[in-house]
Amino acid sequence: MSHALVADAVPQSVLGNSLWVAIIASLHIQIATFLTGASTLTVVSEGIAMLREGHDQRHGRLAHGLLRSMAYTFSFDAAIPIFWVLFVFLGLWGTFFIALTRITFWVFIFEAGLFLAEVILLYTLYANWDRLTAYRRARLGLLVLLNLVLFWQMFFIDVVASYMLTPNGGDRSQLAQILNPTDIPLDVHRLIGNIAWAGAVTAAFAAVRYLRALRRAPEDAPFYDWVVQWGVLFAIGFTILQPWVGYSYAKEVQLHAYGAWYTMMFGELSNVFLLQITLLGLIFILATLYLLRRLRASGASGVRSLRIALGLEIVATLLAAMPSRFAWTQGDVTARHLDRPFWQGGLENPVGTMIPNKIIALLALMAASLWALTVYLKALSRDQLRWGDATRRSARGVIALAVVVSMMMATMGVIREHSRHPYLIYGEMTIEGQHVVDHAQPSPGATQR
Amino acid sequence: MAVLRFLARPLSRRLRSGYGWVDERAGTTSMLHKGLYEAVPKRGGWAYALGSATLALILLQLFTGIFLLLDYVPSFSQAYDSLHYLETSDRFGAWVRGMHLWGAYVLILVIGLHMLRTFLSASYKRPRELNWVSGAVLFFLTLGLAITGAMLPMDNAGYWTAVVVTNIPHYLPFIGDGIRSLWRGSDFVGPVTLTRTFGIHIWVLPFLLFALIGGHLMLLRRHGEFGSWVNYQTDTDDPEREITERILRAEPPYPTKRTGRRWAAPRDTVDFFPDQIFKDIVISVVLIAVIFVMSYVAGAPLDERADPATLTYVPTPEWFYLPLDQMLLLYPSGYLILVGGLGLVGIGALMLTLLPFLDRSHARAPLRRPEVIIPGLFLALVVVILAVLGANRLFNL
Repeated sequence: MSHALVADAVPQSVLGNSLWVAIIASLHIQIATFLTGASTLTVVSEGIAMLREGHDQRHGRLAHGLLRSMAYTFSFDAAIPIFWVLFVFLGLWGTFFIALTRITFWVFIFEAGLFLAEVILLYTLYANWDRLTAYRRARLGLLVLLNLVLFWQMFFIDVVASYMLTPNGGDRSQLAQILNPTDIPLDVHRLIGNIAWAGAVTAAFAAVRYLRALRRAPEDAPFYDWVVQWGVLFAIGFTILQPWVGYSYAKEVQLHAYGAWYTMMFGELSNVFLLQITLLGLIFILATLYLLRRLRASGASGVRSLRIALGLEIVATLLAAMPSRFAWTQGDVTARHLDRPFWQGGLENPVGTMIPNKIIALLALMAASLWALTVYLKALSRDQLRWGDATRRSARGVIALAVVVSMMMATMGVIREHSRHPYLIYGEMTIEGQHVVDHAQPSPGATQR
Repeated sequence: MAVLRFLARPLSRRLRSGYGWVDERAGTTSMLHKGLYEAVPKRGGWAYALGSATLALILLQLFTGIFLLLDYVPSFSQAYDSLHYLETSDRFGAWVRGMHLWGAYVLILVIGLHMLRTFLSASYKRPRELNWVSGAVLFFLTLGLAITGAMLPMDNAGYWTAVVVTNIPHYLPFIGDGIRSLWRGSDFVGPVTLTRTFGIHIWVLPFLLFALIGGHLMLLRRHGEFGSWVNYQTDTDDPEREITERILRAEPPYPTKRTGRRWAAPRDTVDFFPDQIFKDIVISVVLIAVIFVMSYVAGAPLDERADPATLTYVPTPEWFYLPLDQMLLLYPSGYLILVGGLGLVGIGALMLTLLPFLDRSHARAPLRRPEVIIPGLFLALVVVILAVLGANRLFNL
């Protein structure tokens, strides 16, 4: 081999290369998930606009706005995966990426095909929105098609993401790879999460516009006020299901990638997991706070119930986010022979145990949030709300809500990607040197499998 | 002589006079007239057909069950052999058993849809509260029939289902172990368990089921089909006058008593015969045809003979118990099973049954009563998600 062909220029630092993936992946995922969720919101709004034709212009305006926002964000986001694949994956993680592409070849082919379909549908709708007003059913049909394309895109990329964590012991049958143990839980988790995230982004964007409208264009304030609450309803309504789905997902990780699960729950990542629970609680608290302020601003009924729900959410979050030990990992506790309750001089905190305390706290969090949502919708259904009288404070709270949801997504990404350590593909390929594991030899994770 | 005179008449006259004799004594014509010519709301007839389809499917279960009884031996040592004989040597045995299984699957789906329709349309409100309560209990009885039926084959699936299901009461405080022992007949699943489960499956539950069906139908006839809020919308500028006219010209069983004037009589009605009964028959026939085909194509599985000592067999629940099974996985320890598995499910079942007494709003349209619709849809979504996740887990066992 010629000396000139040796890849000396490629950075060899695992930390540096991982950082590149983290930055690019986070950016891409936040936009891609918004696109997937926003396409659902667009279908819903366009459908309602058609049903209420002549009675309610807001949904039509929102659907158009969402579609335009999808076109803009997609235009930016489309460049990221290309950069990701060409430079980050092929350049920095070449061995891994080629191995992965060979394993999930057809999945990537479908993904690429769907990407093409997305381009065609999205830009057709963007460029012809007004012209298609005369053919509204066709326009709705195209939106539904776009929604389906984005759903399948998510499905196929989830196959890759879930395979890396639970590769079914390296089973090479296509069906076992596609329907690996964490694929469906991840699909359900993301399907719900995407809609919630799109709702939060829509609400935050509308909150910014609402604050501006209050200063410059008061005639637009009622519309943006209404959009803020519409987005928040999706954000909280779908997030309520997430603790249950996320728990099921973690359960599958426990059953099929025990080492990764142990790292999440008892190892280095257990404190990041507590941060995640804290963020989850904050999402519910901020959303309920918004609903409470929104009702109060219009003098609607249900404020007292929402105050109680808010109190319950705060208590439940504190209990759920409580550490189960006063040390970084469970290993530290065991090593120091202090695995007994703190009142007996140990480092363990039985009040903060996952089972049953955190589970019950999460159930309480879900119940309180469902109650808050129901109380708000009850007032809404009785026409007790006036649009345009929301306070500036509540709009700022919604922006904070979107920031917390974004942080939550990033935290979940950190947990899932780092839980596999020291593997890129759990039990099959290591991060260090991208070595394929020889199962005949002891490997870094052999004792955990 | 009278008999000879009767036999000498033409056949049509003989039939007519025979019917006249019965009618004079039993009042069949007036009964048929009352049964067939009652008014039902015009809009939504295909959705109401789910109720009749439920009845048709329950009758199908009864008939196929009777045929299965001709071969099945409810004995711990012979149950499996009798079903093996039925599957392999009886000419239509496998098909009939398949129909019994697929009939149960479709029945559970149809009852679920029927309940969903009733829930969304708020048909359970005054004075139809007992219609809903009896319907909800019927749903639970059907689930009970399904699970007790799944234990009877005494193959590995049946045996381990019996082990898991009869162990569930054990998690109830104080009385749990007593109920488990009563059902099992000892500490372990054995011959007495099968006998008792068989008794529950073919006598206790069907008795309760048919008694409740009678009550449910009687209540339906008494109050009439509510339909949905769209049947009660007003078109004119004077809604009060329109409603008054509607009540005045209403046909039996309308106007419904003990309800608000607005909900007393639907806007347009049709006769049960032939309009509604046609839809009922179409839906029932389609469903039975599906059952027929599925029982022929897929049949009913029969595992290996039950092996209580096996260490390799992994019991898997029927699909309609997947949400519950997944729930038990999420709440793995004794205390949590009580809270999550029994507490949440028990409270959910109780709230479902008592729904008409919990929903006190006057509104009927779903968008006007989010306080009921949102928790209901949340519950339905949780059940679907748990079922999907449970199926995924079983696929990857």
